[in-house]
Amino acid sequence: MDFLGDGLRRALGLLFAGDPETYGVALLTFKVAAVATVIACAAGIPAGFLLASRPFWGRRAALTVVNTALAFPTVLVGLLLYGLLSRRGPLGGLSMLYTWQAIALGDVLLAFPIAAALSAAAVQGVDPRVRRTALTLGAGPWRAAWTVAREARFALAAAITAAFGHVIAEIGSAMIVGGNVRGQTRTLTTAIALSTSQGDFGLALALGIILLVLALLVNVALQVLQGRGDA
Amino acid sequence: MLELVGVKHRYAGRLVLDLDRFLVPDRSAVAIVGHNGSGKSTLLRLLASLESPSEGVVRFDGRPAAGERRRVTLVEQRPVLFRGTVRENIAYGLRARGRRASEIERQVSRVSERLGLSALLGRRRQQLSEGEVQRVAVARALAIEPDVLLLDEPAASADRAASQALYRALDEERRARPLAVCVASHQLEDAYRWTDDIRALAEGRLSPVTPENLFRVDLPGPDAGGLQHVAVGGVRIAVVSDKTGPAILAVPPTDVLVSREPLPSSARNVFRGKVTRLARQRGGVHLSADVGVELVAAITEEATRDLALAPGASVVFSFKASAVRVF
Repeated sequence: MDFLGDGLRRALGLLFAGDPETYGVALLTFKVAAVATVIACAAGIPAGFLLASRPFWGRRAALTVVNTALAFPTVLVGLLLYGLLSRRGPLGGLSMLYTWQAIALGDVLLAFPIAAALSAAAVQGVDPRVRRTALTLGAGPWRAAWTVAREARFALAAAITAAFGHVIAEIGSAMIVGGNVRGQTRTLTTAIALSTSQGDFGLALALGIILLVLALLVNVALQVLQGRGDA
Repeated sequence: MLELVGVKHRYAGRLVLDLDRFLVPDRSAVAIVGHNGSGKSTLLRLLASLESPSEGVVRFDGRPAAGERRRVTLVEQRPVLFRGTVRENIAYGLRARGRRASEIERQVSRVSERLGLSALLGRRRQQLSEGEVQRVAVARALAIEPDVLLLDEPAASADRAASQALYRALDEERRARPLAVCVASHQLEDAYRWTDDIRALAEGRLSPVTPENLFRVDLPGPDAGGLQHVAVGGVRIAVVSDKTGPAILAVPPTDVLVSREPLPSSARNVFRGKVTRLARQRGGVHLSADVGVELVAAITEEATRDLALAPGASVVFSFKASAVRVF
């Protein structure tokens, strides 16, 4: 118990003292997760709409691929990306390996199937008469899609939350393509792993608390947005 | 003019609609009647260009109807309202057309007044009854001033007074501007309340048979007891009504009692005749008989067997004067 108690005391000390390294790691983590979530959702939500609302050749196969990708191990994504970005890889010329952009790219690959699959489920959950009614009242395809999105706003917000939650908490890809470089690519999860292996339980716990608070803040923000207005 | 030509439509390989030609002329009032599953809703969705037919074409004034979709609008059975207020819902189609705010406001006021919705403009969908949702959906459709308004079972969620008010509003709108209205209903009476142009749909095909037991008559006026005897073909049908002048009589086939001999009863209409046709339909048999005029009775398969009914058999049709509907 002393071990846990000491860890917690040290964690609170670091947090309240405004330790620059701790907060630097937190800021980078938030930046990477936010950028990755925005890009993944910007591509994944329209993809989900397409999968849910338009019949096309290969649609079922695409849905299966997206649903399978939901369970993609993060270390495997990291490994594949490492192969692509390493000096000898096809994208080695970009010199992206061990940068925060590489971590964000890995996170986009992880969050895209979440955004697409959950958006498809959200759109499929909307009464089909909504889209038909919008079209018969003269809406074009974009306005009709927006009308459907408004009806599915809770489920779509859940998709965004799930994507953000997944990328902010992932460690496998961040560790492999980020390299856990201090001050450059160290994220909360990789820092927690390192601190724990070095026996600095207090720092690990402090970072864990920040991670939880970040996730909580984003969830609260999304819930506030969802709650605006009613049906 | 909106028309379907050579249309066949299939769902999962099953033929649900098969129409050589179906016209909705300009400014017309058309009713499509048929049982549930007869293809009415599919027909309306094709006319609204919300679906493309498996075979055949849908044209509007000779051009492909898909390109003219903004001239036709459909109010579905049990319509949905979008998120937002009644005002926002009615304005939806006008906003989609990029109309100016002042024009939208004027149009919303006009149609909401016509449908009696002025007091509800600030409400949201969960604050409305089913009948009010239906009226808002009709108002939303009328607001965009379509050339053709398609309505699927508009009276399904309305009581008699509300459905009469709805048809009155549609009539007023048709008088005010060039508008064709096409209504699908499973209730013949509902259809006959406002139009003569009734098309019967059965199993996805236009039925050549005129809707059953409907007669255009001239009512002489009631006697002291409120009863009238109206000449229809070779018989005189007893009717309870205080109306006088042109009217339509409807004898619901389910209200006609069938027997081989006259039975002592309170029925004021008892006619003897011969069976002309037996049509087996879902849930029973439609028995046609010439009793001085062609009448149809809906009976069970078991009754058909017990009474040994077959074409040429003598039969007696009985129904109460109060069973006859007058429109």
